Amino acid sequence: MEQSLSLRRSLSLEQKKARLGVQLVLPSVIVIGLLIIYPVAYNMYLSLFKVNLVGNNTFIGAKNYINIIADATFWQSVLTTFLYVVFSTFGTTLFGLVVALTMNKKFPLRAIVRSIIILPYVAPVIAVVYAWQFFFDPVNGIFIHVVVEMLGLYDQRFNLIGTPEYAIWVAIVFSIWKSFPFTYLMIIARLQTIDNNLYEAAEIDGCSSWKKFLHITLPELYFVLGTLILLRFVWNFNKFEEVYLLTENVKTLPIYTYFKAFTGVMDLGQGSALAVIQFVLLIGLIMVYVKKVLKW
Amino acid sequence: MVILVKFCKKFGFFLLIMFIVLFSLFPFIQMLSTSLKYSWDWGNPSLMPAKINIEAYRDLLGLGEKKVDLPESIQNLLDETPDLTEKQRDAIIANYLDTGDVFPFGKYFLNSILFSLSAAAVSLILSVFGAYSISRLKFRGSSFIRRGILFVYMFGGILLLIPLYKISVALGLGSTEEGTVVALVIIYVVQTLPVSLYMLGNFFRSIPYSIEEAAYVEGCSQMQTIWKIIIPLSLAALATVFVYSFMIAWNEYLYASVFLKSYENLFTLPLGLKALFVSKNAIWDRIMAASMLTAIPVVILFMFVQKYLAGNLASGGVKE
Repeated sequence: MEQSLSLRRSLSLEQKKARLGVQLVLPSVIVIGLLIIYPVAYNMYLSLFKVNLVGNNTFIGAKNYINIIADATFWQSVLTTFLYVVFSTFGTTLFGLVVALTMNKKFPLRAIVRSIIILPYVAPVIAVVYAWQFFFDPVNGIFIHVVVEMLGLYDQRFNLIGTPEYAIWVAIVFSIWKSFPFTYLMIIARLQTIDNNLYEAAEIDGCSSWKKFLHITLPELYFVLGTLILLRFVWNFNKFEEVYLLTENVKTLPIYTYFKAFTGVMDLGQGSALAVIQFVLLIGLIMVYVKKVLKW
Repeated sequence: MVILVKFCKKFGFFLLIMFIVLFSLFPFIQMLSTSLKYSWDWGNPSLMPAKINIEAYRDLLGLGEKKVDLPESIQNLLDETPDLTEKQRDAIIANYLDTGDVFPFGKYFLNSILFSLSAAAVSLILSVFGAYSISRLKFRGSSFIRRGILFVYMFGGILLLIPLYKISVALGLGSTEEGTVVALVIIYVVQTLPVSLYMLGNFFRSIPYSIEEAAYVEGCSQMQTIWKIIIPLSLAALATVFVYSFMIAWNEYLYASVFLKSYENLFTLPLGLKALFVSKNAIWDRIMAASMLTAIPVVILFMFVQKYLAGNLASGGVKE
């Protein structure tokens, strides 16, 4: 009798907790549902219409998609996106790794250096792009001064950011600069958890530093690196500001979509269709990556 | 020989550190240097300004004297019509004021503060309760929500931009200033909420449950425990999450550019900076000074929470 009473009480306590749990999380869930989940669904719906900003939409079926696929500039943009994402992702990861390995060693002023090198990640994109543009500016920039005047590699000053073939490489270097601190922080956190005994044992066996890196550090970092590449891949695939604000000449998919949807005739329907294609492409690539590399 | 090899290694290591530091800092040095240079000095590759020029900063902060550039006809008009009141005169002159209007730093700064503060505050309040719920309380669907939060990272800004814009126009929010402010703040809240939930959830899980149990024994209710135990214990984490959300909103450009396009009064710093760049007043020293002034607040904020932020980033709670 007494037992069942206490059982009932504890059950109702559990229920009470569960109810409170739902109540507390509900506002967040509603906000995310209404402003993320619903818009994604609505976006798919819109992609089947000719969309007017005010007034009624006209159903046109798959026409938006057909128009996109028939457009050569779209495929150009897909290619640009791949180049940008692949090189910036690997560049960032590689450089982040080098920095993490360096910062893991002791040297004077390390604490200051460590906080200084995070600045690129913290500063607003808009506040740093103009310094980069100035650096490559054909008239005033230091880069051109060094390449043309000092080294004499080219006999004429040129506009690096203004030319699409070159601008993409500037965008890639910029992306590496902007996001390597994040990669470095994640890697160094993992580095510090590696058991020191492993290295000592390897030293007794007479391993060189390179061998230690290859057989101890790298396997320990495998999962972190795999995850970082995945995250960076997703983020760079969706990246808008870092590319658009630096140069409008590199038309990756998000920028291509922005131009289609918000400039000129403002074709929101086609913009939605582009966003859907982009999303499907991203999901597909992620599935391949997760299966082949992370082997989940 | 051994000493030489050792020296070379040390020197190489030193060069590597120098390179990393220079690579990270160079754009900031460039920015500072150009913001202090006179225009005749821009083409000079030296980073040290030949002569320091703080005109750009004074201009942007509205400290400089306003230069009045009156066309002759207007000057004549003013001279020949003595019956104009002082107010009317000022109004006419104001049309020809040279500075201040191009990049009203103070106004954009306040707008940025307004958007970022309110978004970060709302996001923090929602996420304190939400994160407590998903990290401490078990209920049906709690693990689904916990995992679902991470999935939200997959959606890029551009995927949500079109439908959200369309919705806000359909609701009539886009047609008034107040409505636009509300819409954009809500959007920033949503952008920062998943990060906040995730970071705080991770932190709450690290607080020993026994502390809470002690509070229950003392007769505290669940809500009282949150107020009296959890929140005081996590002030540093709360500050970190707040700053992180604040930074996301402060740095945001894409949504602001679409929602605020026709409301110049509401421009945030990133929008104002972009407008300054494409305007006829695109003068490098002013652009760089404006860049500095936009970057400094977040850099200072960041310095305060740096320690905690780095730890939190490493535990996986992030979004770009």
